[in-house]
Amino acid sequence: MNRKRFIASLGSASALLLTDVSKASEAIATRTKKIIVPPYLESGDTIGITCPSGFMLEKDMQPAIEQIKKWGFQVIEGDTVGKRDFTFGGTDEERRKDFQNMIDNPDVNAILCARGGYGAVRIIDQLDFSSFKRKPKWVIGFSDITVFHSHLHTNIGVATLHSKMCNSFPDDWSKAEPIQVETIISLKDALQGEKLVYNGGICEKNKPGTAEGALIGGNLKLLETMAGTPSDISTDGKILFVEDVGEALYSIDRMFYNLKRSGKLDKLKGLLVGSFTSIKAETPGDEFGRTLYDIVLEKVKDFDYPVCFGFPVGHQRSNFALKCGIKHRLTIDANHSSLEEI
Amino acid sequence: MIKIPPYLAKGDTIAVVCPAGFMPYEKAATCISVLQDWGYKVRPGKTLGSQFHYFSGTDEERLADLQVMLDDKEVKAILFGRGGYGMSRIIDQLDFKLFKKHPKWLVGFSDITVLHAHIYRQFNIATLHAPMAAAFNDGEYENEFIQSLRKALKGGISNYSCESHTLNRTGKAEGELIGGNLSLVAHLIGSVSSFKTKGKILFLEDVGEYIYNVDRMMIQLKRSGMLQQLAGLVIGGFTEMKDTTTPFGTDVFNAIHSHIKEYNYPVCFDFPVSHEKNNYALKVGMMHQLYVSKNKVTLKEIR
Repeated sequence: MNRKRFIASLGSASALLLTDVSKASEAIATRTKKIIVPPYLESGDTIGITCPSGFMLEKDMQPAIEQIKKWGFQVIEGDTVGKRDFTFGGTDEERRKDFQNMIDNPDVNAILCARGGYGAVRIIDQLDFSSFKRKPKWVIGFSDITVFHSHLHTNIGVATLHSKMCNSFPDDWSKAEPIQVETIISLKDALQGEKLVYNGGICEKNKPGTAEGALIGGNLKLLETMAGTPSDISTDGKILFVEDVGEALYSIDRMFYNLKRSGKLDKLKGLLVGSFTSIKAETPGDEFGRTLYDIVLEKVKDFDYPVCFGFPVGHQRSNFALKCGIKHRLTIDANHSSLEEI
Repeated sequence: MIKIPPYLAKGDTIAVVCPAGFMPYEKAATCISVLQDWGYKVRPGKTLGSQFHYFSGTDEERLADLQVMLDDKEVKAILFGRGGYGMSRIIDQLDFKLFKKHPKWLVGFSDITVLHAHIYRQFNIATLHAPMAAAFNDGEYENEFIQSLRKALKGGISNYSCESHTLNRTGKAEGELIGGNLSLVAHLIGSVSSFKTKGKILFLEDVGEYIYNVDRMMIQLKRSGMLQQLAGLVIGGFTEMKDTTTPFGTDVFNAIHSHIKEYNYPVCFDFPVSHEKNNYALKVGMMHQLYVSKNKVTLKEIR
């Protein structure tokens, strides 16, 4: 059975095919052990900017482009920069072609997605990653870009960068808040190969412990909608991080049930709960009656791995660059929590 | 072979419970009296009218109430008060041992899709995707959709038809009918409750979703292999659709159509299965024939 189909069949039959599942997990785990790390960037290297999801006006991208150039990188603007097809950054074919160019262009050392929105899943199966395998490069973004993180993790076994995108760069760097500067600098540092250490803060709901494993995750809604597909991830033996924006509590609950019922919480090494921002307002008298803490903790009550709440990742200013696929160590005790790249 | 629960006879008992969202008792009062008029005894569960925040009770209360009704041999069918959200929270704790020995009709839709899918996948027992208690109110119990539920419970063979739609793809298909709410069908992928769709007639409906999200869910179904080998596809109502500030650029039926246009099986759009009044009782798991002709669509049960 070819790999793609095998992974696809896992989703629908997970509980019934335990041997197959463990075999697949092994296969994925083996692959992850030998994760491919794209070359880190040096001064003069080129970052290609493309819009695989939502559209972004070219003028809105200028602060990011200027800043990236100040860092000493060159920038190639893809054809989808400033393009628009309704909510998308161009038609499916335009977005696919632009991303494909970024993959294939030997001068591009990293691919920065301009913004999220919706659309990555509409082109992912039409992309040809064969030259990417020969010349892996960092794919950068979050939110809808979770599709790329998951797909590349499972299918290529390559590390990717979950990070802020062009739409998060401040218009005026000199007037930016410290957290904005710090998080965007974390993107630069990550690209240049610095081993990053994050302070996860203190939360009384945290479950203490230490864990080591490959870091994997992203937007919870996207992780759910990739279940059963060739882009689905195995979370066994990994540290999972999740974040989301604009969801109702019941929907967050249901998505955590998807993780739980598809076995994605069973064999984790650790769980990082990022921000769940703009949670939909509740109708008085009709409240969900459970907090985000309750929702998460009841799903992991049978497990003893560490859990960190309020980790600085998500649709908010405090959203640090995270290297997906790379081994990290998570440490949580009563007084602090940290995540460091090993 | 699919196992068919015994159809109901006069004097049989129908339980009414709420396994998900809260429902005030009075909103089910019409339903209860209509069921009695139809000749059934009605046993309201403890979760009808009870409330725990959004839910009709705590997980334990909802679980216990449904479990009692599943286990009680006197209860020949369970009609759910309403959907909402909550089945996913209790499905793995339900014990179907007695239900498997003595199957009974489980009646509902929306969040109840979790139960339809789970029971079909795990036990191969037919269930009834149909209007729930609130749909009986305001004199609506006389409409053809509630009447279709009445007939289905008695063992009538269903034979539904509707108008053609410009996006329909003509053809004839036979297969077991499965489906329900798209959000739930997608949500269940990867779990032990997920539908297997090969050779089946799949029906889907949804309410209050963003068009882009429907698009994304259809892609999930497609990419997880659920659309390739269907016998036929029935797209029901996709009502109260929302769009983003920058429009998605196409309506919901065209979005759905774009993901199934490469296949050959018959497809119909706007079939009367939905969160609106037009919501025929559909027997999940039973053999059906879908006939999409130029001028008309029929979906009928085959025995």
